[in-house]
Amino acid sequence: MFDTKERKAKKRQKVELEAAEEYDDFEEESPQDVKSAVPESATRQVDDSAKEDEFGAKDYRTTLDLKNDHNSRPLFVAPNGHIFLESFSPVYKHAHDFLIAISEPVCRPQFVHEYKLTAYSLYAAVSVGLETNDIIEYLRRLCKTSLPNGIEEFIKLCTLSYGKVKLVLKHNKYYVESMHPEVIQQLLKDPVIQECRFRLSAEESEGGIVEGQVSNKSALQLNKPANGNPDQPGTSADGTTDGAEQPTVPSDIFDYYDKMDREDEDETEDLKTVSFEVKAEHIETMQKRCIELEFPLLAEYDFKNDTINPDINIDLKPSTVLRPYQEKSLRKMFGNGRARSGVIVLPCGAGKTLVGVTAACTVRKRCLVLATSGVSVEQWRSQFKMWSTADDSIICRFTSDAKDKPIGCSICISTYSMLAHSMKRSWEAERVMEWMQSQEWGIMLLDEVQTIPAKMFRRVLTIVNAHTKLGLTATLVREDDKIADLNFLIGPKLYEANWMELQNKGYIARVQCAEVWCPMNPEFYREYLNTKSMKKLLLAVNNPNKFRNCQFLIKYHERRNDKIIVFSDNVFALKSYAIKLNKPYLYGPTSQGERMQVLQNFVHNPKVNTIFVSKVADTSFDLPEANVLIQISAHGGSRRQEAQRMGRILRAKKGAIAEEYNAFFYTLVSQDTLEVHYSLKRQRFLVNQGYSYKVITKLAGMETVN
Amino acid sequence: MVNVTKGILVECDPAMKQFLLHLDDTEAFGRKFVIQDLGENCLFISSDILETLQDKIDDIMDRLSFPLAEK
Repeated sequence: MFDTKERKAKKRQKVELEAAEEYDDFEEESPQDVKSAVPESATRQVDDSAKEDEFGAKDYRTTLDLKNDHNSRPLFVAPNGHIFLESFSPVYKHAHDFLIAISEPVCRPQFVHEYKLTAYSLYAAVSVGLETNDIIEYLRRLCKTSLPNGIEEFIKLCTLSYGKVKLVLKHNKYYVESMHPEVIQQLLKDPVIQECRFRLSAEESEGGIVEGQVSNKSALQLNKPANGNPDQPGTSADGTTDGAEQPTVPSDIFDYYDKMDREDEDETEDLKTVSFEVKAEHIETMQKRCIELEFPLLAEYDFKNDTINPDINIDLKPSTVLRPYQEKSLRKMFGNGRARSGVIVLPCGAGKTLVGVTAACTVRKRCLVLATSGVSVEQWRSQFKMWSTADDSIICRFTSDAKDKPIGCSICISTYSMLAHSMKRSWEAERVMEWMQSQEWGIMLLDEVQTIPAKMFRRVLTIVNAHTKLGLTATLVREDDKIADLNFLIGPKLYEANWMELQNKGYIARVQCAEVWCPMNPEFYREYLNTKSMKKLLLAVNNPNKFRNCQFLIKYHERRNDKIIVFSDNVFALKSYAIKLNKPYLYGPTSQGERMQVLQNFVHNPKVNTIFVSKVADTSFDLPEANVLIQISAHGGSRRQEAQRMGRILRAKKGAIAEEYNAFFYTLVSQDTLEVHYSLKRQRFLVNQGYSYKVITKLAGMETVN
Repeated sequence: MVNVTKGILVECDPAMKQFLLHLDDTEAFGRKFVIQDLGENCLFISSDILETLQDKIDDIMDRLSFPLAEK
């Protein structure tokens, strides 16, 4: 029995791989297409007239016409797909919502934000219901200049065939559904697809196309905040600026926005659809064929009409209220009464877990949660208990430490490595795996989803059969280029929050980032220059001046009653710093019990204000009290790590004033060493989110101590 | 017997001094050029190396840092 399953899994994997290649091809193809689709004149003029100046700037004045009322329009669209948005424009909010839906944010500092149109981002736009003409028309209206022709072509190319057909799982049967009858007809003419089609009887020929209706109503049911809108200060402020500036805004922008907005709302408007049923065993062939025909299938799960898988009895607690951005992200997921797979990107500390819990409570089918470590498994469990009516009887942990018995449970929480484990397991764990593989899971929640493209963890997706996959992360970046793989492994990016906006509204802490320069002491630097190996980094980390600065910062913040976490990737440095300063430390070999004990002490014991941790604490260590972070050594130039470490202090602080900095993130850098280089590289992600780093060359008050 | 050597006094931060000593040790310019180590941030170097040093030092320093434009 196991054998066949494995073969099946392998087969599925193979199909997926092929699908991957298919997508890769598309990705490679499209930029070329764009190039050829751009009228020769446009590109050539750009290159000729706009010689890049010494800073790499290009001059598009000759190719694009500036509109007369350009002052009141918020965007530039460059012929290379980059979009620049003025964040101080009165229509910023509208334009921003729209751009988030159709493009990828590249860089969002204070005044001008940069976005990029990509094939994937447009794919995601279509999957949440935007149409080709709407996208082009609205972009045209927002743009300060005429829209470059190439861009229009590109949008058409990427959206016309995308998102037109969906693979819907309804009443536990698979249907191919579309709102466009002509597309269905076209698909049915294909011999391969005819093979896959499910017919009641052989003689039935042209019938069997089911006409149906889809409700536009969102499946999301949330508790409304009891009194007032928590978002009120934000909205009222927007209101006033809108009012003051309104006359200067061309009315067409608002007209169109209203139209788009209305489509977003929960109107119960029924849309006509046509569909045909597919034989379950031919799903993979079908999906592959559709990609070949350039009609990729979007998978949706009609969980309300799933009568075979039992409902589980969980709801959000009445006291649980979602923040506006959490609600918005979930609306994208449950937009048309069904569940879509995809990825939601929220900053660390902005409540990703609650989004996951709400999704599980909405689907109300068997739920599998995958996290990165044992500690975060515990945190998911306690969050489930905190926000929803789930209790220990339906939540089970499947980890090497936990003694729960997952077989038969409704919510199973485990780790990636537990599932991807390919060596011999214990007898009990083996049974659990068999059970998991034999189940149909309603929803799979993937925490820190950027780890999925790693070869090891990819397997997880083929082992478990889940109808919806929701990926959650703060940092959709990897240092390799596998991040695009998520688009077919999980689904499109459904929502990405703006860090600065959340910070300004007080949902996450206001962080002061600082880079503290520590001069190398001569003896260490001499040795540093003379060694050729990894010892170099060790010398840089253990720089005595760095140690001094670190000690000074710890003392300074302990006096302010702050809670401090010190990060060091280098275990040697971690131990030597911690032992010298007499502070507790956590790293890989620390046992689960001791970890919990140290963390509990850190949270509750006023005498333990500082802990030293290695990279085990990078993700999912929920330490709401911490507000100072000192980084003494890091993993090369990893942007993800930098952002996730900052996430440890991002949780909004109680009673904090939104205008003041209430959290501090120090990176100690030994001057004139490789660390400078890495530090610059690491900062790019946060800089792109709009953070700025303050460089401190000398800590004030350092000399007067002692 | 008194030896007279013409040289230049270089004042710099301790790290830079170590870097110059390193260049001297590894004979990066093909020969030794430091005449005397004069304390924490002073060095006495031979004057004929000055031109080469001024030409090359920026290049070598740049190699230690990270090009910002790289994506």
